[in-house]
Amino acid sequence: MSGKKTFKTAALMKELMKKNYEDGLSAGKSGIPIAWVTAVSPVEIIYAAGLFPYYPENFGATVAARKVADKLSAVAEARGYAHDLCGYARCGIGDAYASEHPVGEIIKPDLLLCCNTQCGSLPKWFEVAGRFYKAPYFLLDAPQIGAEPEELVTNYFLEQLKELIVFLEEVTGKSFDYDRLGEVLYYSNEACRLWNEVLDTAAQRPAPFGFFDACFHMFPIVTMRGTKEAVAYYQVLKDEVEERIKEKNYAIPNERYKIYFDHIPLWPKLRWFSDLFASHDALVAVSQYTHSWAYSFDRTRPLESLAEQYTREFVNRFFNYRIELKLKLMRKYNVDGFVLFSNRSCKPTAIGLYDKRNIINNLTGIPGVVFEADMSDLRFFSEEQILAKLDPFFEQLKFSVKK
Amino acid sequence: MGLNTEVLKYFNKVTEDPGQEARRWKEETGGKVLGFLLTDVPEELIHAAGFLPFGIYGGEKGMSLADAHLQNWTCSYVRSCLALSLGGRLDFLDGLVIPQRCDATRMVMGIWNNQKPLSFMNNFRPPRQVERPSAKRYYLGELKRFKKELEEYRGLKIADDELKKSIQLYNSNRTLLLKLFDLHRQDSSLLSSRELYNIIRASMIIPREKLKGLLIRLLDTLNYKSPQKTDQKIKIFISGTFLEPLEIADYIEESGGTIVGDDLKNGFRYINGNIPEEGDLLQNLAEGQLRKIPSASFDNSINPRRNFLVNAVQEKRADGFLLLHLKYCEPENFDYYDIQQVLKKAGIPVQKIETEFGDTSLGQLRTRVQAFLEMLGGVELV
Repeated sequence: MSGKKTFKTAALMKELMKKNYEDGLSAGKSGIPIAWVTAVSPVEIIYAAGLFPYYPENFGATVAARKVADKLSAVAEARGYAHDLCGYARCGIGDAYASEHPVGEIIKPDLLLCCNTQCGSLPKWFEVAGRFYKAPYFLLDAPQIGAEPEELVTNYFLEQLKELIVFLEEVTGKSFDYDRLGEVLYYSNEACRLWNEVLDTAAQRPAPFGFFDACFHMFPIVTMRGTKEAVAYYQVLKDEVEERIKEKNYAIPNERYKIYFDHIPLWPKLRWFSDLFASHDALVAVSQYTHSWAYSFDRTRPLESLAEQYTREFVNRFFNYRIELKLKLMRKYNVDGFVLFSNRSCKPTAIGLYDKRNIINNLTGIPGVVFEADMSDLRFFSEEQILAKLDPFFEQLKFSVKK
Repeated sequence: MGLNTEVLKYFNKVTEDPGQEARRWKEETGGKVLGFLLTDVPEELIHAAGFLPFGIYGGEKGMSLADAHLQNWTCSYVRSCLALSLGGRLDFLDGLVIPQRCDATRMVMGIWNNQKPLSFMNNFRPPRQVERPSAKRYYLGELKRFKKELEEYRGLKIADDELKKSIQLYNSNRTLLLKLFDLHRQDSSLLSSRELYNIIRASMIIPREKLKGLLIRLLDTLNYKSPQKTDQKIKIFISGTFLEPLEIADYIEESGGTIVGDDLKNGFRYINGNIPEEGDLLQNLAEGQLRKIPSASFDNSINPRRNFLVNAVQEKRADGFLLLHLKYCEPENFDYYDIQQVLKKAGIPVQKIETEFGDTSLGQLRTRVQAFLEMLGGVELV
C-alpha cells in the first residue's frame, strides 16, 4: 500500500480474500452452517464445531474501502436506523434490505455468535440480523474489567463457552470435537506469532512495514485465524518483509518520525492518510488495533485459556488499562508522536480520547492530536478539518524531535 | 389540573434543586451520598449500607462543559450528567455508581474519575444476556463483589436484617408508586402525567424513609377524592429511554391526552418488580434484575420487548404509542424499526419523536406531539 513498491504478497491476499468469500458461498450450498462471528470472539470454537465463520465486520470494512458506505447506509437509515449508529452495522442492515449489492451480498447466517467485548453495537446489529434472517443468536457476554483479571468474569465467560458448545452441538447434531479444537488453537497461535513478528519490524529505523501495510495485510489474522492458510500466509509475508529489510526497501522513502495511531483506519481514505503521513516523513508504526490479535493459547486447558485471553483483551478493559497499553506500545516502538482518531462509528474506542490525549501528553511530553471522522462514512469526513488538526501536529513533530 | 397539595409542591421543589435534598440529608445524618446513573443499580444494597442512593437525572443547562471530554455524538444523558459534575453541581456526592448498559455508560467512568475523582467509584455490570443459567450465577457474583466493596467503603459488613429492611422499604415505595400510577390512569385530573413522572424522578433522590411517608400522605389525599369518572382522554403509551424533557407530558395533556403506560428507565421499569423478602436476599435481587421488563440493553434476538409492548398497549387500552428516541442512544435505536413494525401490524398508531438532554427545541416537540394527538383524536371522531 504505502510507498511505491507493492508487496508481492498483496496478490496472494486478493486470491485469499476471493477464495474465502467463495468458500463461504459454497459452504452454505453444501450444507456447512454459516456462523456470523465478531472480530474479537473465540472463533476457534466455531471451526472446531465444523462451521464456517463469516465476519460481517469485514463486510463493513469492504463496503467502506470501496467508498459505497453511504449507499447501503441510506437503506438502513430509511428504516430509522440513525446515522450515528456504527457504520458497519448500518451497512450490514442496509445490505439485508437492499435490492442492489455494490460489493456482493453479505453471506446469510445460519446462526450468529457475538462477543460483546468490542462494543454494544455488534450485539444489537446481530440481534437485528438474527430476526431478519431468522437464525438463532448467541451472545457471549463479557463484563468489562480493570487492571487485574477477575475470576468472576473469567468463570462467567468459561461457563458461557460451555453453553455455546451445547448450543452448537444442538445446531449441528454432532458432538464437539476437542481434538480439532487443539489443532485450531495451534494454527491460531502460529498465525498470531507470525503476525506479531511482522508487526514488530515496524520498530526498526527505518522500517520495512508500517500500520497502513498492516491494515492491508490483517484480513487473515482477523477472519482466518485458526486455519493453516492464515499461518502459511503470514509465513510468506514475513519472508517478504525480511527480504525487504535486506534490500533496504522501506515502508516510506524517507522515514524520520514514528507515529502511534488509534484505532481503526478510515478505510475509504487509507491511501490519502498513508500518503499524507509519508509526505511528512512520518511512518505510522503502531496501533492497538492491529496489535489486538496476539493470542497464545494454552492447548492443555483450551476453554480456560480462551476465556482468559478473550476477556482480557484491551477492548474489554477500563480507561486506565487502555492508557497503559498505548504507553507500552509507544515505548516499544519508540514513537515521536501520536494521532488518535475519534471514530464516531466506534464509540468505545473514541469515548475518552480527549482525556487520554492530555494524560499521555503530560506523561510523555510527546505531541499528540485527536481528530474527528468516521471509519466508513465519508459524510463525516472533512479534509480541511483534519488537516487543520494534523498540520500543526506535523509542525510540532519537527520541533520536538531531537535528532 | 392536579391537586396543588403540599406534598406535590414538595416533590417539585426536590426536582428543581435535587442537590438541596441531598445536602440537607448529609447535614442531618453525617452520612454519605452515592450518586448513580439511571438505572438497573441495586439501590437496596447501597441503602442497606447506610448511604443515600442519589439518582443523577441529568440536566439541561451547562452541557457545553462536557464538550472537551465527550464528543457531541455521545448520549446526551451521559454528557449532561458529566456536565453537572464538571459544573460543581454534584459536589455533595461522595461516590458514584455507573451501571454499564451501553458503550457510553461503559466508557465514561474513566473520564469522570480523571476529572472529578470521588472516594467511591464503581462500575456496576449487570449481565447483558438474561436467559441462560450463567447469567444468574454471574449476576449473583457481581452483587457479592459490589456488596463487599460497599462494606469496605463503609468499614462494616452489611447485616442480613439491614438488607432485608432496605428491600422491604424499597418494596413499599415501589408499591406506593405503582398505586399512584394506577390512580393517575383511572383519573388524570387527580394526578397529571407530569406530576406522576416528576414524583418518580424525586423518588430517586429523597431519602427513602422520608419518601415513603410522603407517598402515603399523597395517596391518602388522593384516595379521599377518588374514585372519579373514568378518564375520557386520549390514552398514550410512551416508550424509549427517558421521558425528557418533562414538558412532553404537558404537551400530551394540553392536546387532550394522558400517559397510561411506559417502559422507561425513569418510569415503569424503575418502579415495577418487587423483591421477595424471605430466603437468600442476594439471590432474590439477582432474580429480580433478570426478571425485569424487556429493555434494549438486556434483550435477545427474539426481542421480547416487541410483544411486551403490544400487550402492554392493549392491556392499558392505549390509543397511541409515542416512541421517545433519545438521540444517540444506540441500543434503543437498534430496536425501533422492529418495534414499529409489530405495533403497526397490531393496528396501533405509532409516532417517533427525537428527544435530547440540553438543547431541545421545545416548540418543535410541542408541534409534533400535538399533531400526533390531533391525528388520534381525528380517528376517534370517525
